[in-house]
Amino acid sequence: MTDSTTALSSRATLRRALGLRTVVTTSTGLAFAALEYLAAAGLVVYVAGDSAWIPIVVAGALALLAYAFFGELNGMFPTAAAIRLYMKRAMDDRVALTITLTYLTTIVLVIASDAFIVGSALAHAFGEPAWVASIWIVGLLTIAVVTNLRGITVAGLLQDVATTVVIAATLAIGVLALVRSGHGLHTPLQPLRGHHPGDFLEAVALGVFLYSAFEWVTTSAEEVRKPASIQRGMLIAIGILCVVCAVATVAMSHTLSHHELTSAYPQLYLGIAALGHSGLWVMAAVTAVTALNTFNGGFITASRFIYGTAREGSLPRQLAQLNSRAVPWVPVVALGVLSAAVALVVALTHGWQVVVAVGAALEGMIYGVAGFCAVRLRARAPDVPRPFRVRGLRVLGPLGMVLFGALAVLASVSVQDKFDPAPLVIILVAGALSAFYVLRVLPGIKEREAARRAARPRRRPGR
Amino acid sequence: MASTEELLEAYAEWRGRSNGNPRLTSMVRGWDRVIHFTTVDTEQGFTMRVAGQQLSELTVGHEGQPDVVVSGSSEDFCDMFWGDLNPSEKYMSGEITLLGSQQDVMRIDAISMVAFLDS
Repeated sequence: MTDSTTALSSRATLRRALGLRTVVTTSTGLAFAALEYLAAAGLVVYVAGDSAWIPIVVAGALALLAYAFFGELNGMFPTAAAIRLYMKRAMDDRVALTITLTYLTTIVLVIASDAFIVGSALAHAFGEPAWVASIWIVGLLTIAVVTNLRGITVAGLLQDVATTVVIAATLAIGVLALVRSGHGLHTPLQPLRGHHPGDFLEAVALGVFLYSAFEWVTTSAEEVRKPASIQRGMLIAIGILCVVCAVATVAMSHTLSHHELTSAYPQLYLGIAALGHSGLWVMAAVTAVTALNTFNGGFITASRFIYGTAREGSLPRQLAQLNSRAVPWVPVVALGVLSAAVALVVALTHGWQVVVAVGAALEGMIYGVAGFCAVRLRARAPDVPRPFRVRGLRVLGPLGMVLFGALAVLASVSVQDKFDPAPLVIILVAGALSAFYVLRVLPGIKEREAARRAARPRRRPGR
Repeated sequence: MASTEELLEAYAEWRGRSNGNPRLTSMVRGWDRVIHFTTVDTEQGFTMRVAGQQLSELTVGHEGQPDVVVSGSSEDFCDMFWGDLNPSEKYMSGEITLLGSQQDVMRIDAISMVAFLDS
């Protein structure tokens, strides 16, 4: 029996294995954070009238490119540790680790933003003053940290239901808002009318962010019944995200005022446009449900990754400490504290569009890096089996690197259609801190670990 | 390549340390699982069960429906059971592969880490 057939038969007999449905809902749910609504509303200002669906469709096509890169890489390394495996094979490990640690910033930002958005939405829905949102933020993150520390995770079925509710409700509210507006779409096919072509590219960069994190489902590669489910699931998720985001964004541009679009809870106003006051409560509930996926997926993905990297010896050993429920408690608490701090800063500065821009730029960067890895590994590891092989990678790879790189740069210097280097500064600081750690701190950690191991005699007899 | 006897001896050491470690037994409370080990070099299968906070003896051959399947070389398994090898390093380098939920995978790594933490 070959390795691959052994793996397949083992998968088939696993007691708990994920099917395609859960892969689709996981991929969609990870991408569809509460921040999605703000990114969608932010995208509207870059294009004319109700043409926001166009950059979303273009971004969807680019997401397909990213899907192709991740599909091939995940097929080669079907493991939760895939990002470490393919990056360190494709480039110098120090560069790989610097990029990976910088990319982790996105997870913190998404968790923080979701806490802020859900907190703000709930405070608004309950008619509370804006500062109460801070209490909601701290409360929500405390709940997320405590449930994570207790080892409680959202079961597959609950995740399926939660994502389905969020997607179906958003789609229904979007369609209803459009229908009940009582007037036709404005310039639905002329995104550039009164806008610079650069604005359209900016809109596409934000559009890419609407799909971002769909690829995190690749960390479930070891749990699926059929390996191909990961690739299929990502593809279906991109299709779902394209339709829902296009409808929600056009509905927002069509029915919301500038003030409503630039608020911290445009989705609540969309709910009101669709169903009146009850729509506000529907969307407040939907926003809260999105947090379930984000907090569950974000905390688990990030904390387990940090744990694995610490166990591998690339992060301080303290980050691999486990509590009595085998949960890496230091990363979980650190993520919670860091996310709360970022969320409170966002609440104080109203800088959520900066967070959106940072997220969009980092996603562009990581998609470009994925393209680079896929191309590089064709030369460096030609013999590794590729169950999902991208056709025309020689052209698509460099094309993806250039496009995603350009979008990342664009997104990093623009906030709300104005030049603003704040996102770039944040990314550079995160990158510099990561590089400092990798180049200056990590060698010392590795040296001490090597000395500790050398001092310990081998336990295995006769060795 | 490690022989079956070497693997069973190494596992017995691992099991003794794990079952005698109060922190570890607390960590596997309510975590009753069937784990299959597959050696890729000797093409052998082994089964370990966790039930009632205790690790079972290692049986030769795959028995029952697994929650987790761990594949690696017989040498790596032997070293891991003796506590001479950090399985996370091998996992992150792709030399040990796993099938199963991330939570279950974490527990196995936790066992291998905590069992030898104090020595």
